[in-house]
Amino acid sequence: MDPITLAVVGNALSGICEEMSAALVRTAYSPNIKERRDCSSALFTPNGELVAQAENIPVHLGAMPFSVRAALEAFPDWAVGDIAVLNDPFCGGAHLPDITFVAPAFHEGELLGFVAVRAHHADVGGMTPGSLPGAASEIFQEGLRIPPVKLWRKGELNRDLLSLVLLNVRTPWEREGDLRAQRAAVETGIRRVVALARRIGAKTLFAAYRELCLYAERRMRAAIEDVPDGTFRFEDFLDEGIAIRLELRIQGDEVELDFSGTSPQVGFPVNAPLAVTASAAYFALKAVLDPGLPPNAGAWRPVRIIAPEGTVVNALPPAPVGGGNLELSQRIVDVVLGALARALPGRVPAASQGTMNNLTIGGVDPQTGRPYTFYETIGGGMGARPGKDGIDGVHTHMTNTLNTPVEALELAYPLRVERYELREGSGGKGRYRGGMGIRRDIRVLGHRATVSLLAERRKERPWGLAGGAPGTPGEDLLVIEEEERRIPAKGTVEVPPGAIISIRTPGGGGYGPPRGGPE
Amino acid sequence: MKGVVLGVDIGGTFTDFAWVVDGGLSLFKLPTTPAPEDGFLAGLKRLPAGRLARIVHGTTVATNALLEERWAKTCLLTTEGFRDVLEIGRQNRPSLYDLFCERPRPVVPREWRLPVPERLDRRGRVVRPLEERAVREIARRIAEGGIESVAVVFLFSFLNPAHEERVRGILEEAGVRVPITLSWEVLPEFREYERTSTTVITAALRPVVEGYLSRLSRALGGLGVEAPLLVMQSSGGVAGTEEAGRRAAALLLSGPAGGVIGARQVGLSAGFSDLVTLDMGGTSTDVSLVRGGEIVLTPEREVAGRPVRLPMVDVHTVGAGGGSIAWTDPGGGLRVGPRSAGAVPGPACYGRGGTEPTVTDAHLLLGHLPRARPLGGLPPLSTKLAEEAVGRIARALGLSLEGAAWGILEVVEATMERAVRVISVERGHDPRDFTLVAFGGAGPLHGATLARKLGIPRVLVPAQAGVLSALGLICADLVHNFVRSLVAPLSELPPARVNRALQGFRRQAEGILAAEGVPERARGYRPAADLRYRGQAFELTLPLPDRPLTEEDLAELGERFHREHERNYGYSVPEEPVELVNLRLTAVGKTEAPGLPEAPGGGGLEEAVIERRRVYFDGGWGAWPVFQRERLPKGAEFPGPAVVEGPESTCLVPPGGRAHVDDYGNLILEV
Repeated sequence: MDPITLAVVGNALSGICEEMSAALVRTAYSPNIKERRDCSSALFTPNGELVAQAENIPVHLGAMPFSVRAALEAFPDWAVGDIAVLNDPFCGGAHLPDITFVAPAFHEGELLGFVAVRAHHADVGGMTPGSLPGAASEIFQEGLRIPPVKLWRKGELNRDLLSLVLLNVRTPWEREGDLRAQRAAVETGIRRVVALARRIGAKTLFAAYRELCLYAERRMRAAIEDVPDGTFRFEDFLDEGIAIRLELRIQGDEVELDFSGTSPQVGFPVNAPLAVTASAAYFALKAVLDPGLPPNAGAWRPVRIIAPEGTVVNALPPAPVGGGNLELSQRIVDVVLGALARALPGRVPAASQGTMNNLTIGGVDPQTGRPYTFYETIGGGMGARPGKDGIDGVHTHMTNTLNTPVEALELAYPLRVERYELREGSGGKGRYRGGMGIRRDIRVLGHRATVSLLAERRKERPWGLAGGAPGTPGEDLLVIEEEERRIPAKGTVEVPPGAIISIRTPGGGGYGPPRGGPE
Repeated sequence: MKGVVLGVDIGGTFTDFAWVVDGGLSLFKLPTTPAPEDGFLAGLKRLPAGRLARIVHGTTVATNALLEERWAKTCLLTTEGFRDVLEIGRQNRPSLYDLFCERPRPVVPREWRLPVPERLDRRGRVVRPLEERAVREIARRIAEGGIESVAVVFLFSFLNPAHEERVRGILEEAGVRVPITLSWEVLPEFREYERTSTTVITAALRPVVEGYLSRLSRALGGLGVEAPLLVMQSSGGVAGTEEAGRRAAALLLSGPAGGVIGARQVGLSAGFSDLVTLDMGGTSTDVSLVRGGEIVLTPEREVAGRPVRLPMVDVHTVGAGGGSIAWTDPGGGLRVGPRSAGAVPGPACYGRGGTEPTVTDAHLLLGHLPRARPLGGLPPLSTKLAEEAVGRIARALGLSLEGAAWGILEVVEATMERAVRVISVERGHDPRDFTLVAFGGAGPLHGATLARKLGIPRVLVPAQAGVLSALGLICADLVHNFVRSLVAPLSELPPARVNRALQGFRRQAEGILAAEGVPERARGYRPAADLRYRGQAFELTLPLPDRPLTEEDLAELGERFHREHERNYGYSVPEEPVELVNLRLTAVGKTEAPGLPEAPGGGGLEEAVIERRRVYFDGGWGAWPVFQRERLPKGAEFPGPAVVEGPESTCLVPPGGRAHVDDYGNLILEV
């Protein structure tokens, strides 16, 4: 295939993915999709190989192929108008709030491929609102599990199935709106793939799939080739002492990531299914080796991941996995970056905050009498880069979702933000300083509230590199009548009216020995 | 208003003039001077004698100051505990995978973000009184620190501006003489980061814009010009100089807005009211939408990486222009742009030292541009230099010369196609319902092929393709926008509260329009409300009747919201409470759009033919007739393939297409 057609079709295919996401964001209901853009779209070959993808947050980077594979294994036969839906982390999903749609595109009876659209839904049932319970010891407590099921067959909605799903979630009409938006996105993608096939012919389309994957593979192999051969080890820990161990082996133009030696899965929700581990590993490789690499099946052909079953990086049912996506994924990135820093000194930054600081506050609004749930994640310090300070107060690595504006938060919930500012001195010292963490103080007004926290790097500090100091760990305080006490970073507390929850997020690690300090 | 209406658009390369006298339009252009006002004045001297009724100005002075970070030294007073809102932003990073990315530098550095003890709650009630002593202390620092502009942003000031106003009073009493910009005046809307960013940018640009406009006004006065000077705003409306200076951030899209209004004017006079406007210059392409004869506005966009929440023409810009450079990436793929050879050194074929292959070089090799004749003020283009440049790409990709040149065009058009899709398909519009208005130096070369790829049936190449922005300036209405956040459940909102806010807007608007000399019969008012379901993070804007509202009006508004929601998103939830988030008023002072000059009639089609030229198009060479645009008589019709060469741009009529010259000399292609 000539390079011109390839460039034009490649552009069209990534355009289709972006249009699917734009359709989803435009028609979705909930802020999570609309404002925080926690969603992704992708296009696959008839065999289920990833061709093009548009993701707003990297945690979806490597996970979509698992969804399509699961759907194809569940259903050998597909018809026009079929849409499979799933969220089970042990069968194509990542964590339960992420619901993925998979649908075929046909043109004149020929299967052109599959489109997939994933969105984070604000609630899928389970023991707490938001479906990310910090106290879950089994996945059954985290919400409704949906194996691959056809919610539409030949364009016909399976109402029985939909009622079952909607009965098990807290805000059914909002879910229905978001599911409709996901279907609109899928339809957009199918329409555009069919139009493209009509324009260039199915044969050219299939040839372009192959060539685009080969192109990404060439780029990835060239980038790996530039890394010196060898075995590079790194380990890091969650605050509970759970070890993530990696042996990164570079040989020629291939790389193997071997997580053997990592801790066994645990009975609280920081376990990751393999899809999440793959996303985190791909993120770190792409960011260091070739940030512009088009994410498709070809790009990952030279990459092999060994993640022993039953460990936190490849958990088996019934392990709870809500925070694997959120917290463990960040530590996996740190470990891969740490190993790459040994292979490529001078090209890898120090550790970033390494957590998403998931905060949920719930209660009954004393003015309206209605229950509310507020969920947010909080940015922190980015690790210092060779040649540059880390960015202050920012989301790093596996997430990039927006904050809730203070005024929007206070207008919607019986809460008042008393402080939202950078945490001075929290960035690790070094020739280049780690980014500062954030301090966010929230007062609970006129009612008792339940506060759940799922956060990391409260003990294990974000490491520095090349002689740079580590960043300051995070800290979580409850202030009642000017009396401060620490609260657990993974857990739930009941707080009285007027109490302040003060979250102080970690600073990034420093890079290089500090000036004037010991060289 | 009798007399001459003059439009002056100052861009990076050219300063364009358009004027109307007795309904007739004239145009010319001059090179832009280093101090832009010099070229402005030089052009004025070339105008025929006659009384000027008004001058409308499009300027990039605010945009350039922001892009080049040449803003005034500004300090920001914030609610204590929130000084870093400007820096944290929405806590996201600009690039997902680039570990070395940077956020744009905050307009005000941390040392000049000064916390003030004070706090209002979500109803605007005082939770913590303003500590006036702290403000006086800040006044002293401002004097000592050489601060040139002050911004004040307190939480919830849009519900109660008392603290922000009091700060201005204290600073003025303490002798602060620099401009003081209050957030509730710039953007009385919730979401503190967007309000802070917009307020700070306004404050930092005010001294720059006010300085420029007052120099210009003085110089005009020195020439004896008494006509009012008006400035094009990002919203497509024009405002007086005082207003323009005070709302400096509302000028950031002044230039592109003129182009879109000009394109709309040409489209409307040709009988088309749904338009995709495509302005392709040397480095970039601006695309925008006109729907039902109205330009489409966006409430917010980023400029130089920083959010500005003010109504702006919804222009989407991509790095695809005539000077965009073609290159091969590490995987062996062909890429075009966003890097551009610009005007200097320019494309390789200009012979000014550029050696990299550009889009213009590709057009020249394919015979789309004249090979031996001069082109729009340039000496004849060099085929040899273009061949050398494009030849390198051809060899790298293993393609023939024409294959590589055609490929460069295909790849750059893929980028432009994406841009059109972003403003049409991704906003829920079907390109098949639109006419593509192609202008700018390179737009008409790509109009027809692009339209085919998008399924757009028709392309309009305006007669005034090169000075459309200046034309837009004299057609633009005076527009002023007012907004205020209420954020209250619609069912509990007394109509009196809504009416009070709208009447307040109305009084302000009348004062401004009167000061601008707009007669009462030319004034129009469009009130509107932003509504949402409680808990939603986005709003729908619905028009309101222009009269005091009753309980029934508000109830009807709620019902209309459910219907609109159903129409936009496919469902509604009538039992869910509806919130009124913002009230808006758009005040318009109508101007009379000039009649466009008619094209000459008579003369045969054959007389307009300059030559027959070898042209490459979509896989093959052919001998295409080349027409001289100015000699095409109105009413002429001819089939493609053909090339039409004008003074400022060249247009391709592809095989299978048809071209038609309308009464105004516009070229209309059915593709």
